[in-house]
Amino acid sequence: MTAAAPIVIEGVGKRYVTPSGPIPAVDGVSLTVRPREFVSLLGPSGCGKSTVLGMIGGLVRPDSGAILIDGEPVTGPNPRKVALVFQDPGLFPWRTALDNVGFGLELLGVPAVGRRKIALGLLEPMGLKGFEAKYPRELSGGMRQRVAIARALALDTPILLMDEPFGALDEQTRLLMGEWLVGVRRRTERTIVFVTHSLHEAIALSDRIAVMTARPGRIKDVIEVPLPYPRALDGPEAVALHAKLWAQVREESLRAMEG
Amino acid sequence: MRVWLWRALVLLAALGLWEAAARMLNPILYVGPSRLPAALVRVLATRDLPPLAGHVWLTLGEIAAAYALAVAGGLWVGFVLGLRKSLGRIYEPLLATLYAVPSVVWYPSLMLFFGLGPSSKIAFGVLLGFFPVTLSVLAGIRQVPATLVAVAVSMGAKPWTLFRKVMLPAMASTMVGGLRSGLALSVVGVLVGELLGARAGLGYVINYAYGLMMTAEYAALVALVAAAVLLLDGAASLVEGRVKRWAG
Repeated sequence: MTAAAPIVIEGVGKRYVTPSGPIPAVDGVSLTVRPREFVSLLGPSGCGKSTVLGMIGGLVRPDSGAILIDGEPVTGPNPRKVALVFQDPGLFPWRTALDNVGFGLELLGVPAVGRRKIALGLLEPMGLKGFEAKYPRELSGGMRQRVAIARALALDTPILLMDEPFGALDEQTRLLMGEWLVGVRRRTERTIVFVTHSLHEAIALSDRIAVMTARPGRIKDVIEVPLPYPRALDGPEAVALHAKLWAQVREESLRAMEG
Repeated sequence: MRVWLWRALVLLAALGLWEAAARMLNPILYVGPSRLPAALVRVLATRDLPPLAGHVWLTLGEIAAAYALAVAGGLWVGFVLGLRKSLGRIYEPLLATLYAVPSVVWYPSLMLFFGLGPSSKIAFGVLLGFFPVTLSVLAGIRQVPATLVAVAVSMGAKPWTLFRKVMLPAMASTMVGGLRSGLALSVVGVLVGELLGARAGLGYVINYAYGLMMTAEYAALVALVAAAVLLLDGAASLVEGRVKRWAG
């Protein structure tokens, strides 16, 4: 694997043109993500978290500012450096779990034997051994999302971007998937940017949490989470952190609700 | 298995009712199913009617040509309008409006343009088959989940790869439905064309038998066409089922 890469976000802005006029989604967001760091973007719905993630992934072009990965400006998707996971697993229903995991490798021209080996190597530690030949409709929600994550990990990129990947799962599965992600991260040493609106999830997983404001999204505060893994969310530090985060997020959520 | 049994029973009951009704009425106008086999033999043997084989082949050829053109045109227009959003916005409402017009009103024009021969039948078959294919392509493109496209693009898929590996399979279920309806309507177009005015073809023979009041022969021919269409649509539905199972 290539060395973990820093992400430098420099004053990016984005407005969406709608029939009722342009809406500024993101306005002057700056943030530096260090190599091998886990940073969460936390904020109310519609604050532009996903837009920022899309810009890092090269799927959304910023109107202003720039994003640098390893010092190079992002101009489009770069599957050798950045892999994305979305809230909807987005598995291809006509492909088996194995072939879904191999999709990105296929696009990069990796031969079938190599794809198979990599995909099997990823599915097994994810508790999906024996499910390689199953189609997405035969898998549970949590399994589907794990296959989607395996598909992103298969690219072996230094950077992994996750857009509320556990948002569609039930609470229990969500907690388990969080614990599992901590393990994945320890094994693979990736730089991860994680979009969420769950305070618990952000505290459980992140090295740092970037709190975003209501639309137009700006960075309100960046908070360090200096707790060792596995994290007990009912410990005094976590509870204090939660209170501090909630005060900030609450203010922004109220603003978002008032429009 | 029970479903098949019931279907057979319903079919038998319908045939029985038909037979009973026909026997009570004027045998010149009303033909029961028991008289069809003999009538079919007469159709094949008689010199009062034109020899059937040539007409059947002609009609099949017209259907094949009409369907091929309808599919080619339908796919082309569907993809152009579906993938070029600006064109789609201009032409899609137009297409929907045209589709709402009962197509048979165009047939006299087609006869004027293409004459009494096979071309006007093919043209009518194309006209009827074209719309369901085009509309299913447009619907299919709209139904491709945005996340699948985002996943592929984020993994570096170029437009052609995206089309081949994501769009086409994601659209397949919707598209085969349209292709199946298109086939059925191409068949209708060709046969109706032949019935409304032709010098050859299955529809022409049906019309001919009808014109001579050979009602039993007429009914036998209609039953033959119905059986052929059922067979064709059955095959199409098997293909559709397969594709749908594959595409999930």
